[in-house]
This record gives sequence, C-alpha cells and structure tokens, in this order.
Amino acid sequence: MSLDFGLIIEQMPDILSGLWVTLWIWVVASILGAALGFLVAAARRYGPAPLDWLLKLYVEILRGNPFLIQLFLLYFGGPFIGLRLEPIPAGLIGLTIYASAYFSEIFRAGFQAVPRGHVEAAQCVGLSRSQILRRILLPEMTMLVLPQCVNMAIILIKETAILSIITVPEMTMVIGAIGSQQYAFVDAMFLLAIFYWVLVEICDWLGRRAEAKLSKFRFAVT
Amino acid sequence: MSSTAPTRTPHANSPEPHAATAPAVAVKGVGKTFGATEVLKGIDLTVPAGATTCLIGPSGSGKSTLLRCIAFLEEATKGTITIKGDPLGFAEAANGQRTRLSPQNIRSVRSRIGMVFQQFNLWPHMTALGNVCEALVTVRKMKRKEAEERGMAQLSRVGLEHRATHYPSELSGGQQQRVAIARALALDPEILLFDEPTASLDPELTGEVLNVMRDLAGSGMTLLVVTHEIGFAATVGESIAFLDHGRLLLNGTPREVFGEPRHPRLAQFLETYLDRGAATLL
Amino acid sequence: MSFKLFELMLWAAGYTVVLSAISIVIGLTIGLCVCAAKLARSRALSIPATVFISFFRGVPLLVQLLLIYNLLPAIGISVPSVVAAVIGLSLCTAAYQAENLRGGFNSVPKGLLEAADMVGLSPWQQLKRIRAPIALRLTLPALVNEAILILKASSLISVVGVIELTRMAQNLSASTYRPLLFYSVAGGLYLVICWTVAGGGALAERLTRTSRA
Repeated sequence: MSLDFGLIIEQMPDILSGLWVTLWIWVVASILGAALGFLVAAARRYGPAPLDWLLKLYVEILRGNPFLIQLFLLYFGGPFIGLRLEPIPAGLIGLTIYASAYFSEIFRAGFQAVPRGHVEAAQCVGLSRSQILRRILLPEMTMLVLPQCVNMAIILIKETAILSIITVPEMTMVIGAIGSQQYAFVDAMFLLAIFYWVLVEICDWLGRRAEAKLSKFRFAVT
Repeated sequence: MSSTAPTRTPHANSPEPHAATAPAVAVKGVGKTFGATEVLKGIDLTVPAGATTCLIGPSGSGKSTLLRCIAFLEEATKGTITIKGDPLGFAEAANGQRTRLSPQNIRSVRSRIGMVFQQFNLWPHMTALGNVCEALVTVRKMKRKEAEERGMAQLSRVGLEHRATHYPSELSGGQQQRVAIARALALDPEILLFDEPTASLDPELTGEVLNVMRDLAGSGMTLLVVTHEIGFAATVGESIAFLDHGRLLLNGTPREVFGEPRHPRLAQFLETYLDRGAATLL
Repeated sequence: MSFKLFELMLWAAGYTVVLSAISIVIGLTIGLCVCAAKLARSRALSIPATVFISFFRGVPLLVQLLLIYNLLPAIGISVPSVVAAVIGLSLCTAAYQAENLRGGFNSVPKGLLEAADMVGLSPWQQLKRIRAPIALRLTLPALVNEAILILKASSLISVVGVIELTRMAQNLSASTYRPLLFYSVAGGLYLVICWTVAGGGALAERLTRTSRA
C-alpha cells in the first residue's frame, strides 16, 4: 500500500465543495435541531399533560432507533406518502429532526437543574414571570447545558458522514468517489478520517474554552 | 471493653523495648509545606499513652494536617514522628539526616494506628459488617467466620449489631461514623486518631458518636482527637493541645490550658465556639 | 407482509443483537486495557492511549468502518466483512468505554482509599476490593448507554454488506417496493431492543446498591 495524497489533492475544487456541504448542513441542522429541541422541551414542561406524553413518544422513538433507519424512512419511504425530497433537503430535515430529540433531552435536564430556590428568591424580590425567565432561568440554563450542546454538535459533525449513504454530496461521498475513481480508496479514507478528527478536536477545544469562560459564573451545583 | 472478644493480634502483646516508658506518639520538629504555604511550622508534641488528647484550634491552624501526618496520610516535610518509640516513615540519624524506611516497616508501624475520618469513608458497596471485617480477612488473613464474630463484637461495642447487614446508604450519619469507629477498633489499634469525627453530622447526631468516644476514653485507650467540640475536649480530654497558625501555642491539662489567666489567642478562639460547649468554660 | 418476511426481519434483528453484544464485550476488554494505559504514570503508555481514544471518538464510525474494511485486504489480511465490521465496532466502543471507565475510576472518593490505606490494604488489594468494584458500579449506567449507542450504530455495518437488521430491511424493501413498511418494522424492532436494554440497565442499577459515597 502506498499513501498517495498527491492524487487526491489534485481534486481540490471537488473536495472544497464537499467540505462546504458538510459544514453548512452541520451548522444549519445543529441550530434548527437545537431550536426545535428547545421548543419540544418547553412544550413538555409548560404545556398540557397530553402534549407532554405525545412529545415524550416523539423523543423516545427518535432516540430509540438508528439515524440511518430514520433517514431511509424519510428518503425512500417519503415518496410513498407524497413526500419526494432531493438528497440534500432530505438529509437536512432528517438530521434536524434526529438532533431535536437529543437537544430536547438536554434542555429538559437544564430546566430541571435550575434549583427551585433560585426562582423562589427571584419571586420574593418581585421579578415578574418573564423577567424570571429572561434574567434567571435562561442564563442559568445556558451555563448548565452549554457543555452538552457542544458535545451534541460534535456528535452531529460525525453523523453528517451518514448522509453520504443517501448520496448527499458532502465530504465522505466526494472523497470516497475520488478514491474509487483513482483506485486509492484506502488513502482517501485516511485523509477523510484525519479531516474529521481535526474538525472534531477543534470543536472540542473551542467548547472547552467557552466552558472555562463560563465556569466562573457557575454556582455550587450540589 | 467487656464485650470485646479477647483476640490477639501479632503485635498487641509483643515485647516492645520501650513500650512501657515511651509516649504513644512523639512528634519532634514536624513541619509541612504545601507548595509555598507552610502549614506546620515545627511542632513538638507528646501524646501520652492510655489517655485522651484533644487537638483544638481555629480552621486552618494545621491540626488536621498534623493528625494526617501522624497517620502517615501526609508526609511531614521536616522532623520525625515516633509511635511508641518506633520511627514512622522516616528515620533520623544523629546528624539530622532523614531516610525513608521500607514500605514493610511503614506498613507495620502504621498498622498500630487506627483512623476515624470526618467524612466516615465507609465503602459503599459493603455492608456495615463487611466494612468492619474487610481488613481482618484481606490483611490479617482471618477466616471469614472468625472475622465476622469479631466484627459483630465491635459493632455491638458501638451499639449497632442490629445494623450489621445494612449498607452505608441505609444508615444515618451518626450510625455511619459509629461503624467507622468499629472498623478501626476491629484491628485492635494501640492509638486511635479522630479527624473532626462529628464535624459533618447534624447537631442531634453528634451525641451518639461523642458517647462512643467517651466510652473508649474511659476504657483506657489512647485517643488523639481533632475536634471543634470544646465541651467534649474540656470534659473528656486529659491533655489539650491548642494549635494556631501552624504552631503549638499551648499544651497541658484542661485546667492548665483553659484556666485563668487565659492566652489571648485561646480566649479569642473560645469566643467563637460558645455553641460548642465553650460557654461552660467562660 | 407475510409471516415469512417478518421472520427474516426477526432473524436479522437477532443478528444485530449478537454482533452488538460481541462488540460490546470485546470493546469493554480493550477499553479496560486502554483505560489502564491512560491512567498509567508512564508516558509511553498514556500518550498512545490518549491518541487511540481521541482518534476513535473523533472519526465518524462510517469512515472507520470503510477504512478498516478496505485497509485489511490492502495490507494482505482477508477476513469476511462481518469480522471487519465487528473489529470496527469494537475499536470504536473501546475508545468510549475507556473514557467512561476512566471517569469511574477518577470519581472514586479519595477518602475511601485513605480508609483502606489506614487498615493496611496493599495497593493491589485496594484496587481489587475497593477501587475497581466502586468504579465499575459508577460506570454501569454509562455502559448501558454505550450498549444502546452501539446497537443503533451497528446499523452502519450494513454498508460493508453485513446482512443485519438495516441491510435486511434494505434488501426486502428493494425487492418488494415497500420501503415504508420494512423500514418502519426495522425501526420498531430497534425500539424494542433499545427499550429492553434500557429497562434491564435500570433494573441492574437498582439491584447493585450503592450510596452516593
């Protein structure tokens, strides 16, 4: 086996377009997934009980089976119920829905982790409900959930590779195709592995820095 | 002591050349630094055998560190500690050179010391009896049945034989601490060290632990107690050592230490501990 | 769907469970070694362990599988694809389990070891009697979680041609043109498996009693 990265580097424009697809799908799905997850968590906490049960079912079903199955259902099963999607929208929607379940659990734990006493203390000094939400609950929750959101975002970078199976032209698909064409598939996969590894390590490092900055606000979590 | 099974441990009755005359613990010139902070600044202290000595002092005075040095959980940076005349951890030559003793030697000297911690430190995956028997079986190589008999005797000594099969999580703080005392007693130590044994207990639970300690003191064991319970120190302690800023300021009988005229630092310290029984002294 | 086809799906679900279980056990064994190496004082051991953990946690499992599946024949080792798949799953879960175990070992309160020290337990006895049992109990919830993750992740070995639950659903939907049905059945079977493991884990946790310590 000879590692010949030179061959692969020649295809830079294709690789860059794959990198772009990976990055934007990842960022958009993370943001939309987190937003949807927050809504689910808030609805479960403040909505009526039947809504809570329904959303619990939604979350548990999504968390209880593989992303690949969900993606296949959407992409291959969708047309049978009139939902015909191109690979990229299918991938983006699938990843967002998948992420929303995990994000909602993070936020749910965040809601629960803010000590009751902090809210009671805010009520006693006369803050209104919306003030309590904006000034007390959300800032405290942010500190509690940030590390886990970073963690989830890192998991999602890795999940974007799965989108190649439904032919979304992201990094894994582009580099895999180049590798096959040039009979250098192993070399291509090495390059790809290193690319993801570096990306994940960078995100991990940024996340830890953000966490360190916030840690001075951290109250005594018992 | 009547409820204790009369068992012999390898060292309990072995002839110590100076056992009759040597103090239980002799601390000479002990210093301890953590990084740049000097926690102990040359302590000399003699702990008499068969008596209760209480170490008192404000937070950060170094009393717990001193106790942990005597338990060899911390290594003193300077000076020597002897247990009934035998050097602990380090031997000092005539020229003041310290040499580290062999691990076997350290273990054998240390096995004569029992320790009771502020946080109890019971092993959560073992029952009360399991905690008491663990070292008897794994270290002293006793038969399981024999160890359990001995363990039960120790538990009944602290009044907890009916809790033998309970796990630590099922016991109150006071009960956990009494099990921890039984665990230390099971190995028949010559000296029993207590590191603020009631400091993490609710006020209504301190009494049961202090009563067990009072009984032990009455039975003639050598106890060295770091405590904030001034009332206990004044009534049970036969010798009081007052530490302040890493130095031993006062050392003597309760009458000598607490009596008038009182050292100004001690007076100031007692003022802040009125609720711990210091009020009776003032 | 005829009963015959459903039987095929059930059989494939069983295969998924077996392959995942084998990977979890191998991964736990490798993970223990990696964790020991990472906790070792010697740099020659801890640095390779750190790199191992970082690599297998930092690279998507799909890429790892494609790499191992194609790398082995390229360096002259020809194994059936199912073996390559189990190797891939095992190495990946080993990295996660090593980190979980390290967390467990590091969260054994220091005082419990000091107490063991005071009653004369040797370092080896402390490890065997106190540290390891407590660390393993602390790791149990993470282990159950990891088992569920691997069960779900095992769907990716369908891409290297192993006929487990996902691949079976893929094959059957291709031949019957009923993807909605077969992927739903596969999803339902994954749900049943994952919920069963989660329930079993919760039960096991309740049975091994520990205090917060």
